[in-house]
Amino acid sequence: MAEAKVINPDLDFVKEIINSGGESLKKCFQCSTCTVVCNVTPEDRPFPRKEMIYAQWGLKDKLLNNPDIWLCHNCDDCTKYCPRGAKPGDVLAVMRKKSIEENAVPGFMGKIVTEPKMTLAALAIPFILFLAVLGLTGHLGIPDGDIVYSKFFPIRYIEVIFISAVILAGISYLSSLSRFWNNISKGSSQPYSKGFFPALIETLVEFLKHSRFGKCEANAGRKNGHLLVFYAFAGLAITTIWITIYYYLPEPYKKHSPISLADPMKWLANISALALLAGTLLIVFNRLKNKGYEYRNSSFDWTFAGMILLLGVTGALTEIIRLMGVSSIAYPMYFVHLLFVFYVIAYFPYSKLAHMGYRTLAIAYSKMANRDIAV
Amino acid sequence: MEKKIGVYICTDCEIGKALDIEKLTKVAIEMKAPVVKSHPSLCQKEGVEFIKKDMAQEGVNAVIIAACSPRVNYDVFELGIPLVERVNLREGVVWSHPANDEDTQMMAEDYIRMGLLKMQKMEAPEPYKVEEPSKNVLVVGGGLAGITAANEAAKAGYEVFLVEKNEALGGWMSRIYKQAPTKAPYAEMEEPEINNLIKEVQQNPKVKIYTSSLIEKIDGAPGLYDVTVKRNGGAETFRVGAIVEAAGTVPYDAAKITEFGFGKYPNVITNYMMEAIAAKGTMVRPSDGKPVKSVAFIQCAGQRDEKHLPYCSATCCVESLKQAKYIRNQYPDSKVYIFYRDMRTPGHYEYFYKSMQNDAGVFLTKGDVKGITEDENKNLAVEVENTLLGEKIQVNADLVVLATGMVPVSALGEEILPPGVKPGDEFIPYVMIETDILNLEYRQGGEAPALINGYPDSNFICFPYETRRTGVYAAGSVRAPMDIPSTVADATGAALKAIQCVELTSRGEAVHPRVGDISYAEFFMQKCTQCKRCTEECPFGAINEDEKANPLYNPTRCRRCAICMGACPERIISFKNYSVDMIGNMVKNIEVPEEEEEKPRVIVFACENDAYPALDMVGLNRLQYNSFVRVVPLRCAGSMNLVWVADALSKGIDGILIMGCQYGDDYQCHMATGSYLAKIRLSKVAETLDRLKLESGRVQMEQVSIAEYYKIPKILDEFIKKLEGFGPNPYKGF
Repeated sequence: MAEAKVINPDLDFVKEIINSGGESLKKCFQCSTCTVVCNVTPEDRPFPRKEMIYAQWGLKDKLLNNPDIWLCHNCDDCTKYCPRGAKPGDVLAVMRKKSIEENAVPGFMGKIVTEPKMTLAALAIPFILFLAVLGLTGHLGIPDGDIVYSKFFPIRYIEVIFISAVILAGISYLSSLSRFWNNISKGSSQPYSKGFFPALIETLVEFLKHSRFGKCEANAGRKNGHLLVFYAFAGLAITTIWITIYYYLPEPYKKHSPISLADPMKWLANISALALLAGTLLIVFNRLKNKGYEYRNSSFDWTFAGMILLLGVTGALTEIIRLMGVSSIAYPMYFVHLLFVFYVIAYFPYSKLAHMGYRTLAIAYSKMANRDIAV
Repeated sequence: MEKKIGVYICTDCEIGKALDIEKLTKVAIEMKAPVVKSHPSLCQKEGVEFIKKDMAQEGVNAVIIAACSPRVNYDVFELGIPLVERVNLREGVVWSHPANDEDTQMMAEDYIRMGLLKMQKMEAPEPYKVEEPSKNVLVVGGGLAGITAANEAAKAGYEVFLVEKNEALGGWMSRIYKQAPTKAPYAEMEEPEINNLIKEVQQNPKVKIYTSSLIEKIDGAPGLYDVTVKRNGGAETFRVGAIVEAAGTVPYDAAKITEFGFGKYPNVITNYMMEAIAAKGTMVRPSDGKPVKSVAFIQCAGQRDEKHLPYCSATCCVESLKQAKYIRNQYPDSKVYIFYRDMRTPGHYEYFYKSMQNDAGVFLTKGDVKGITEDENKNLAVEVENTLLGEKIQVNADLVVLATGMVPVSALGEEILPPGVKPGDEFIPYVMIETDILNLEYRQGGEAPALINGYPDSNFICFPYETRRTGVYAAGSVRAPMDIPSTVADATGAALKAIQCVELTSRGEAVHPRVGDISYAEFFMQKCTQCKRCTEECPFGAINEDEKANPLYNPTRCRRCAICMGACPERIISFKNYSVDMIGNMVKNIEVPEEEEEKPRVIVFACENDAYPALDMVGLNRLQYNSFVRVVPLRCAGSMNLVWVADALSKGIDGILIMGCQYGDDYQCHMATGSYLAKIRLSKVAETLDRLKLESGRVQMEQVSIAEYYKIPKILDEFIKKLEGFGPNPYKGF
């Protein structure tokens, strides 16, 4: 007989989940309807029934070690059919937030970014930083002549600030993810059925098709919005690299922003921006839609949707106003847009965007540990 | 007064179309009925007037109504005379057999003949009237059930004697700190209701309260109970008409559940002890007075366990949730664990369960508690298997509360089986547990017999409150495990049953299930052989014995089932309107066609309580059954006397089928044991059949519940097919 595991519920952790949008948590009476209706759970030790009791009992370790909360795609089939209104879909979303928060390196960044009430503080950091840089270098004014944003915020400053932010965030993210990987894989005793890289490649191929999302029934609308945003980010990442290459090409190939609207890079950039706006709006409307059952999106999720929407809107306005030639609005708009760009890039290890790495690792792990499902 | 019989044949409801009414009339006239008439619709006003006119003008004083089943229109045919007999031509003949058919006609003619023979033998029953019957009610037990019963009976205008063995009224309920919610939104605990009820009963001038008192003995019968109460060394006697037994429960002895360490570890307590701690104000543990911040509740501490209490105690889940609230309300940082097998919070308690479940500090899981250990600081560790957490777990607790169950006081004694019955016998007519509650002076023992698990019930399915002692009604947790609102409802119901009993008894009428029956048994004592069959077999203990074993019959204890009549080998027991001779005569006069006609005859003795209504249902649903059958209703299958079997077979009847109620675990016998007694008697009929050189398979017993009416045609067909295998009864034509 196995030794009994000493269980000591963390009452504060339970309260934190409840206060972060999981107030239905304790309603679960473990009937397991959720695991039966879930289309994305493995058959062996399925979720979300067990996650619900771990959370009810405040078993923080069991949740943080648990890759299954990341296999969940918030389809809400569980929430729709839950006879007690315990909304497992909502509760698991909160647990993912807690997982990001708990794995965050450094921890205080996790606390700041995952807490929606701290959003203004999070935006204040780049605001002060940009003001300081521009002020100290004498750029705090509206430049004359054609609107060229680098006249206002020289490219070398942007590069220093953003490249160092990306490097710092990247290091933090990698540490968070490796902490997460250690957590989820340390309990594994069975030999893996496949290696990490094949599993990772399989996972990424699935992402390109969004095939797991396709298994959602109750909240099937999530797939399209997410797909658009996913490819929009991919497109915007490519254009960012592309424009950097343009900038460092030797003359006469060097191109400096603003890039002509006829340039293929600009096409990709604008299409991606439109996709980002459309995708985010789809996500927002899908969340607001009455789906015939009760559900609730946590403020953590809403904050990120809001940030992406503002990123898209300010980006579009920055371009449109530049084309209209109204420099008194264009430069301030550019400034504001950069704040959101900073938020998305520098804080991604702690915002909802962090889910991309966590989910990738969790799915790859499930493939290695033979807990994959057919998609 | 000379009996003048009038036979009235109704032709409505297809009777006139399906039967030759003229021939039926002729049968009655041949049987020397002085008045024989038919009418197009007897149950209408004109029909009843039609009969009443004959009663007034022709002096008809015994009426046979050949129409629908006696189970319908009984109020319409209240003619103000005792001798009214119904011949069931509608459900029993035309609705269940082909119209204008020779065999259907023969069936109807036999029923007319049988009805007339019955009426010829019938005498008008006179009610057994007790001189100055008492209408007072004795309530035994001064807890919630007893106080409620006393209050309710007093409110209805009856004098009540309330006897409580403890110094104070209130029972267990006065020892609880708060009671579980009884009102919407069912989330808040309430002040115990018992305190108000105690005041109410104490102030009621109609209730005489005896505390610190025990019942020494109860002599007599309903309407005539002489109760002797011991108090302060003295004894006092008073008379009551009926008794409410509300003796309550005691907690199961937790020390018997050895794996939980009760008695060994000071911080393992029972739910009853928890109430005492809560009542003191601060939730602290016994060993060192430390506030309890981590408490584990173990549900089903003995309940639903064959080794301890095989049943669910009904209240413990809700009580533990309530006690969890005591702790959570006092210490916001406390953790309360509840380990259950199934969370049973029926009805509105579900809301309470939900509200407690929603408390962040309440941790619930299904699981089997394997053991408890204690460290040097008297802290406890509880080990639980098969949990919803998917593994064997251990939680550390300051205090462990065992949610122990209720044991009815009626179970606290030695089980005494009737003479000749061994434990493990297939049928145990009654179990007497000699406790010290009622101390009845009954031949079968001093208490109401136990049904299962020591509860003094008589029939879990059909008759709440009924014990197997007429006039004794069990209420509250001595009857079944129950919560506060159920106890209040139960006690009110039992008080009403007691009131019904004293009222019916005062009029000489039977109580449930033959409510209003005024006939009663009469014993022709010159022929009694003191065999004790009647005194042993009476399910209701109605018959005492004198020192020479003569039966001493108590009519007001009697439920008129006539099981004694069926039991008596000397056939000395009869009722004015139901006797061995009467049924025997009916049986003997069924027309038995010659062997070569190939029309067998089968008698169905059908219990009036379930089998006979089931046969009616066959007709109501227009199912068909074999026309060779002749149905004879019996008050109870247990009233079947074996002489009828001999009578019938010697007259050439081919087979006999007895239809009684279900017995066994799911038994539905209205007379508790009648159906089973009939079966036992039949097992002894082989001897008679041997003497007649007949196959024992010609007599068969079937159990029929009312819901299984659709099975009856098949049962009958199969029986008749079996009889065909034996060939015709060789006694035909003798």
